[in-house]
Amino acid sequence: MKTLIPLHRALLGLGLGLCAWGWSDAQPPAPMARAGENVQDGASAKAEAQPVVVPFKMLPSNHMVVELKLNGKGPYRFIFDLGAPVTLVNGKTAEESGAIPKNAPRSFMMGVRGEGKAEKLEMGDLQASEVPVIVMDHPALKALSGILGRPLVGIVGYTFWARYKMTIDYQAKQMTFVPIDFEVRDLMKDLPERMSGSKKRQTIMLAPRSLWGLTVAEPSDGLSSRGVPIEGVVPGSPAETAGLKPGDILMAIDGRWTSSVADSFDAAQTIAPGKTVAVHILRDGVEVERMLTPAEGI
Amino acid sequence: MNRQFPIRPRALVLAMLALALVLDEAPPTQAQQPPAAARDPQIGQAFPVPYRRTLTNHYLVRARINGQGPFNFLVDTGAPALFIGTAVAKKIGLNPEAGEFWTAVDRFDLEGGIKLTNLKARVEDPFQLEGMNALGLPGATIDGILGFTVLARFKMEFDPRSDRMTWTRLDYEPKEPFVPKDPADRQAPAEVQAMNMLGPAMKLAAMFLGKQPEDLKQPQGVLGMALKETGEGNTLAVQIAQVWPRSAAHQAGLEPGDQLVSLGKQSVHSLQAAHEAMAQVKPGDPVEITIQRGADRLERTVTAGPGF
Repeated sequence: MKTLIPLHRALLGLGLGLCAWGWSDAQPPAPMARAGENVQDGASAKAEAQPVVVPFKMLPSNHMVVELKLNGKGPYRFIFDLGAPVTLVNGKTAEESGAIPKNAPRSFMMGVRGEGKAEKLEMGDLQASEVPVIVMDHPALKALSGILGRPLVGIVGYTFWARYKMTIDYQAKQMTFVPIDFEVRDLMKDLPERMSGSKKRQTIMLAPRSLWGLTVAEPSDGLSSRGVPIEGVVPGSPAETAGLKPGDILMAIDGRWTSSVADSFDAAQTIAPGKTVAVHILRDGVEVERMLTPAEGI
Repeated sequence: MNRQFPIRPRALVLAMLALALVLDEAPPTQAQQPPAAARDPQIGQAFPVPYRRTLTNHYLVRARINGQGPFNFLVDTGAPALFIGTAVAKKIGLNPEAGEFWTAVDRFDLEGGIKLTNLKARVEDPFQLEGMNALGLPGATIDGILGFTVLARFKMEFDPRSDRMTWTRLDYEPKEPFVPKDPADRQAPAEVQAMNMLGPAMKLAAMFLGKQPEDLKQPQGVLGMALKETGEGNTLAVQIAQVWPRSAAHQAGLEPGDQLVSLGKQSVHSLQAAHEAMAQVKPGDPVEITIQRGADRLERTVTAGPGF
């Protein structure tokens, strides 16, 4: 991050940029948002069993709309977006609700105003505090508002919904939320590091916690492959006990696809020794399910 | 590296991330409930869908398109339809017909057991994906987007602490958004078109910043011995329960009943310690191992093998 700050400042002078994102560095870091602290009536931990129901509406454009209040102001119409890693509010609404100071800088492109914070965000009976928001005038929201004739002022993203265990039911047009204790990762902190960080490939060790008795190879039939060919099955191993044979194609372990050697390790490492799981193989073109219990060992 | 270039990559990326909302080029129309088609046998079934969270806080699931793949798809309630990137479409021979907005997908299988048939997809590179992929920001290539026309077929349960979502198939066939027949009528609003400039801008930024490479996944090596813990407290120890034929452990002459003293110079008094000692061992790596057999303390070097 540090290396980017002078860059931001320098570019400010040139007037070429979108907005002075560098300013966010001067602000105290936003507290790591943690859930469990934000249920209605402060009923925090006890609420695990009591999901809060929030209705939503579908737009003709196939987007989900929820109504919410920011710092007691509103209600405002937001798009609920599982694909958005940040929560976003337009400039006018951010100012009105105090999520950003009125004198926050403006930029030419898309009205980007920087990072703000909603002290209180209410969605139905759900209440969250200290939700970081990005303030900008999203062109797609503007366009949608225009077409539909009613304003949409923001997008509810990861920084809000990752605080909850939730269900989305399109048929009932409602969501349910139960607060959980989950560290909501602050993208705004990690991102500059990732962008300016070393371009070295990270190595991730794939460590199965259990012994299966299998060796698998990379598939030879590319994208049409249905799994990894089993090269070896150790005599007396859990794999042999389960009836696997060399030449079988391993398709899935416990519902996870094994489409490469790394995939197979990935799937195997989620299974604890002694846990019995379904393994899907392809033998002579026929899909077969076997139950396998991996052993403790190395 | 020279960082003096007239682009604000961070601002661009933020704009891009914020814009996971995908707006179709088509104006919206009234939603329509389709006539009940042949009942899908998966209706009412719940599927555990494995997912991964990217470094950019995006949630990816894997899909096979017409039996080919797997490909990474972004779960995105902010997208109105199913989007498949042009590179993937080309790879699997999914060719959009000239003048047609939608491309038919016969089969669409999701990891976890969901099977969908006769879908319509838009073959396109939404600029959000183009830009993020160019910079390698998510840590994995995103090949497409699962939007409303796929997601609305399910009741989705999602707990960020779990490594799977649960999707229950509903008796509901959502319709694609209406698209005008004449391509000339499909112009997106000017602001949205302007937004599409972000993709190329990100690619340009990537030329200066460089692309973040995808992580390398390295399988661990295996020694081929089943273990068990014996004793407790101060007497807690790890004993070899079984030695697999032709395994590294077998070749080193290890036997059931031998007690592990150390692995790779780390002393081992618990199963957890044994796993930790193996954490960085790759197939082919030598591993020094000390065992206690009766009154004898033996030292051996074994070569880790492949597999699990």
